[in-house]
Amino acid sequence: MTISRRNVLLGGAASAALLPLAKPARAQVKEVVIGVIYPLSGASAQIGVDAQKAFETAADIINKDYDFALPMAKGEGFTGLGGAKVRLVFADHQADPQKGRAEAERLITQEKVSAIVGTYQSAVAVTVSQICERYQIPFLSADNSSPSLHRRGLKYYFRAAPHDEMFSTAMFDFFDALKKKGQKIETLALFHEDTIFGTDSANAQLKLAADRGYKIVADIKYRANSPSLTAEVQQLKAANADVLMPSSYTTDGILLIKTMGELGYKAKNIVAQDAGFSEKALYDAVGDKIPGVISRGSFSLDLAAKRPMVGKINDMFKEKSGKDFNDYSSRQFMGLIVMADAINRAKSTDGEKIREALVATDMPGESTIMPWAKVKFDEMGQNNNADPVLLQYNGGKFVTIFPPQAAVADAIWPMP
Amino acid sequence: MGLLYGLLAVGLALIFGLMDVTNFAHGEFLMLAMYLTFFLFMFWAVDPLLSIPLVAAGMFVFGAVIYLVIIRFAMRAKANIGMVQIFATFGLAILMRGLAQFFFTPDYRSIPASLLGGKTISIFGVFLPVPQLVGALISIAAFGALYFFMKKTDFGRALEATREDAGAVALVGIDKNKVFALGWGLGSALIGLAGGVMAIFFYIYPDVGASFALIAYVTVALGGFGSVFGAFAGGIIVGLVEATTAMILPPSLKSVGIYAVYLLVVFVRPRGLFGSI
Repeated sequence: MTISRRNVLLGGAASAALLPLAKPARAQVKEVVIGVIYPLSGASAQIGVDAQKAFETAADIINKDYDFALPMAKGEGFTGLGGAKVRLVFADHQADPQKGRAEAERLITQEKVSAIVGTYQSAVAVTVSQICERYQIPFLSADNSSPSLHRRGLKYYFRAAPHDEMFSTAMFDFFDALKKKGQKIETLALFHEDTIFGTDSANAQLKLAADRGYKIVADIKYRANSPSLTAEVQQLKAANADVLMPSSYTTDGILLIKTMGELGYKAKNIVAQDAGFSEKALYDAVGDKIPGVISRGSFSLDLAAKRPMVGKINDMFKEKSGKDFNDYSSRQFMGLIVMADAINRAKSTDGEKIREALVATDMPGESTIMPWAKVKFDEMGQNNNADPVLLQYNGGKFVTIFPPQAAVADAIWPMP
Repeated sequence: MGLLYGLLAVGLALIFGLMDVTNFAHGEFLMLAMYLTFFLFMFWAVDPLLSIPLVAAGMFVFGAVIYLVIIRFAMRAKANIGMVQIFATFGLAILMRGLAQFFFTPDYRSIPASLLGGKTISIFGVFLPVPQLVGALISIAAFGALYFFMKKTDFGRALEATREDAGAVALVGIDKNKVFALGWGLGSALIGLAGGVMAIFFYIYPDVGASFALIAYVTVALGGFGSVFGAFAGGIIVGLVEATTAMILPPSLKSVGIYAVYLLVVFVRPRGLFGSI
């Protein structure tokens, strides 16, 4: 081989590329790689793109030094790992469980992530968490709410946020409280989409309604992303229940409210299972048609009055995304913080060690941005201390109305 | 709704019937038309009802340009011409979706107030949403105009003739590319009409086409390949079947009815109800 300048350069580059391979013997962790799986394209792309900003905000707080009473805020990077920084790898599952499965596998085998956070759609969380279980990589479900997710006996599955049974219980507690005050609530109409989220939500609501003596006058399961909801709304209109309880993602939520307007049906009250009904996009589109709509949530900006860091972190997020934290972005943000906190305590990027640290998590509510009592996982990986709240959309923003200890205003009932 | 499905499908059927090219970017054309309507409303406060002709005209140009810069070359492929066409339009669909997400952001838009939006008239207790009603009327008018155009004008006959035998037409001195480009423009303009109407009552986002494209393909296949009239009739059938199924079965199964009828038709008459190929 003739020694030319080009070959010398090539050789230099090659040995430079080989250098990192020789190093791991010293086992100094430079960065912690965490996989983040969200719908970045497709019908729910808006959620994924906003989620990306929420996770970047959290990564920013982890990697830099902030004076918040939030785990991982103080000090740069992972103090338990010699100041290693977090690096997020985003993957797009397009709301498709099969793509989610493939992307999870890619993140684990190619990107060598230490943990995965996801996924918005519960249907995708099912497949992603199975892959994580197989590779023994901890999976934190940041914002999935289907109760069946944590009941599968997975060892590497964790959820810090409430699930739909807890949310639905709060709704029925709220109905009971209103009834005590003399409001008439007898009939309910369920309207839910046909994937795991809508189905689980409706099952929880059906059971609660039966237990507490409410009559379900319509139980409408519809196809997600339908081109038309006319027939469905006609049935809702015929039933004309005291409360309409939708479990819908944003697209269907917008179409539902638009179709209701077109068919001349004004619901007496709407109490929504979050999802589309906590999205700014829905209120931009049809907010004027549903003043006083109530949605469950796990986050409320009202908390900023009591905990100033909530407002400051919200400002950081708003700078990136142009939006306030909502029920989703707040849970996504906390998802990464909870996971990073566990990795920091594990002092390792090994899946089993992180899992042990997650099991040992005991984070007081005051050091989160949520109205939760604390973060502590049960043997199924579910945090049962994540108290849900009910929020009412009033005058262009959400106001916390339930439970009484978190409420800042009384509910306007019936809807104006 | 059925008439709108029909209008959507006619655009597809026209292009398909004209040169055996299936436009897999059909849904994305619709998406573009809806965004056009939306932006006209947002920036210049043009009511969707008035912007519909503008959108149709814009889509006409867009369709013709797409033919001239992409499809024309795809049709020149020496081998595997069918596959090349599928990939060309499919790639175009993905590109358009990606660009829309990049430029328009994935946020859901909708036109908050318009001359027709949210209005309803009630006839003997049956509520008819005005936007859909107007959409149906526009569909019928557009279909009538198209039918007249195809049968009675020189260009329409040239279109038909090119469809029958492109080689022979070239001999008589008709520029095949010109005819095809106008055909694409016409098909796209029809999608533009449908998009303009739909923007009044549907939400708009980069993937919106996917909700409708499949129905458009089924409609075309049901009504008959190559038949513009069939596509229109197919749309009406699909709309009726969907509504009826939703009344009898749980609504989550309403598309089952459509595909059942479609399968039945394809079994009994593979070329579709009014198919000529």
